[in-house]
Amino acid sequence: MSQEYATQRQSGGVTRRRFLTGASALASAGWVAGSAGGWLLRPERASAATPIKVGIATDITGALAPFGNANWQVAQFVVTEINQQGGILGQPIELRLEDTASDPKVAIGNVRKLIQEYRADVVLGGITSAMRQAIKDPIVNRGRTLYIYPQLYEGQECTKHLYCTGPTPAQQCDELIPYLIKKQGRKRFAMPSANYVWPQLLNKYARKVIEAHGGEVVFEEYYPLDQPEYSATIAKIRDGKVDCVFNTIIPPGLQPFVKQLYESGFQRDGGMISCLYYDENLLNYHPAQEMDGLFSCLDYFQSIKDPFSEGLQERYNKMFPGTKYLFTAGVASTGMYRGIKFYEAAVKATNGDLSREAVSAAIDKATLASGPGGGAQMVPGKMHCKMNMYVARCKAEGNKTHYDIIGKYDMVDPKEC
Amino acid sequence: MLENVVTFAFDILSFTSVMVLIVLGLGVIASMMGIFNFAHGEFVLLGGYTAFLTQDAGLNPWWGIVLAPLIVGLIGLLLERSVIQKFYATPIIAMLGTYAIGLVIREIIRSLLGGHYKSVSEPWPGFFTVGRLDFSIWRTLIIAITVSVIIVSWLLLTKTAIGLRIRGSLENPMLARACGISTGQLYTLTFAYGSALAGLAGALIVPLYQLSADMGLRFLVQGFLSVMLGGVGTFEGPVVGAAAVGALAASLPWLVLPVLADPLVFLIALAFVKVRPQGFVGKGRT
Repeated sequence: MSQEYATQRQSGGVTRRRFLTGASALASAGWVAGSAGGWLLRPERASAATPIKVGIATDITGALAPFGNANWQVAQFVVTEINQQGGILGQPIELRLEDTASDPKVAIGNVRKLIQEYRADVVLGGITSAMRQAIKDPIVNRGRTLYIYPQLYEGQECTKHLYCTGPTPAQQCDELIPYLIKKQGRKRFAMPSANYVWPQLLNKYARKVIEAHGGEVVFEEYYPLDQPEYSATIAKIRDGKVDCVFNTIIPPGLQPFVKQLYESGFQRDGGMISCLYYDENLLNYHPAQEMDGLFSCLDYFQSIKDPFSEGLQERYNKMFPGTKYLFTAGVASTGMYRGIKFYEAAVKATNGDLSREAVSAAIDKATLASGPGGGAQMVPGKMHCKMNMYVARCKAEGNKTHYDIIGKYDMVDPKEC
Repeated sequence: MLENVVTFAFDILSFTSVMVLIVLGLGVIASMMGIFNFAHGEFVLLGGYTAFLTQDAGLNPWWGIVLAPLIVGLIGLLLERSVIQKFYATPIIAMLGTYAIGLVIREIIRSLLGGHYKSVSEPWPGFFTVGRLDFSIWRTLIIAITVSVIIVSWLLLTKTAIGLRIRGSLENPMLARACGISTGQLYTLTFAYGSALAGLAGALIVPLYQLSADMGLRFLVQGFLSVMLGGVGTFEGPVVGAAAVGALAASLPWLVLPVLADPLVFLIALAFVKVRPQGFVGKGRT
């Protein structure tokens, strides 16, 4: 046994020296393992000024890893760019990541580290509403720290010092649904949904908009998140003469539903699907023909032609070449970008005062001139922001798909709080 | 009206076939070897992943269907030789051990996929039309392949010399060994065969669902329910059990709220097992 061990050491197993070399390579790339878990990204140039401490609490592992990793990469991207331009008023930003592991129970402990040990000046992150609810108390109430939530969500979060930088139901429905009814002649809507809070509250809002514009909801139905078989739903869609499916089923139940709907001939007979979280990641989730003609409404699509967004996309792809985690709206990349930029704008406005009350008061009035898909503007007293919204339609060419921008709507109101 | 009945019947049949296909491998291993393979869902996942890799490499997608059972069967064979054979004496440890193997496979695939979901296209997409009704070619093929796999497996077990030995070892392993049958080899073979069936199931069903690390989990629980319901110890038992669970799971959403359908399947199955603990076709492996 010991002999075997010795040969292994000689022939290139992981020795202590090798391990240390590897670790120092990581460290020289800017990474320092935190004292208790988490990762630190220190500003490149050591500077005399004390850094501003930005905490990121997001889902690096578990079911929501694609979202969390995209968020963490966007945070690194934005902060690196700010630091390259000299930081905020000469103060560099230091990033600290804690994994919330797609599990609110694990998250609370890790988030406390950001507050109590690391003493972050601001925390950004959280993907699901369950996660936001779990970590907002340790951050905002007991932690007395500013919290920015980046994901599109069902609305109704009105906690002081908690700012939401993703789209709300009003922003996603107010333009898309009237467009579907007036321009596309849709009248009879079906709402097949995954059984959790986002579809429930979103549907409640969407139903109001549909009915206000003369449409009709034929049925609204909730399924277990991983339901694999939807023939009963398809029959209801067929028998109810539905002409627009307003889908809020999410993966893993999503693909069998979309496939069965396509196989039933719904689209060939003139039916339409709309789904509010469809971004560029989702293009790989279905065969091209099943995606063709699908409507989405988000604050950013990669096909938007504006020089700022295109430059942003290019620099992101250059920083993370060949990454699996794209810069897209559905995984809260845009919300994370806005969140950090709003914070930057606010600290500039307070002249470097990092106290929560001062920064929070400044964020409340903050405006971003540019961003992915355009600028954004906080609605004072409402903790949500106005942003440009885009209605897009998925187009299949061969077995490739992309989004065509159908309409741009400037500075849509979040209508929250 | 008739049209609706036909589509309904086709939908139920196609989902039932998916269930049976997945449960076959699980049932073969549980019945013939007396251990529950908790990594079965991940073997299905590996089959799906093989299909995804062949698509990604730009190969003819039929290669995925051919390669998946071979590759997953080989993985099963290696695992049986190295790890699983140590578990035969202790079925409880076998459950934990195979669960651990499944967990490792699942998390490796998750990191390979970056946690994303991937779509895999059918090797033969499209429809065929009978009267005014469209039927998906791929679902029809799955039904046909399921029926053939059942027939081939059944013939293999009942009509061939090797089937006789397997049944002999199942009936009385001690006596079988005394007669010069190498039960160890037979178990390896059976486990590899069960794994290959899982791989085939994975490659066949992945176009209907998304490829994701948790793909196998969903079916694992219903798979066990099927084996329990059908009865361990026979070949037919799990097949019948899977058909019952599949038909129930697909037809209940027509009758009750979809969120209630899932728990109802379990309730009905558990009530049945309470009344008839040996299952539909149970003779018990004692």
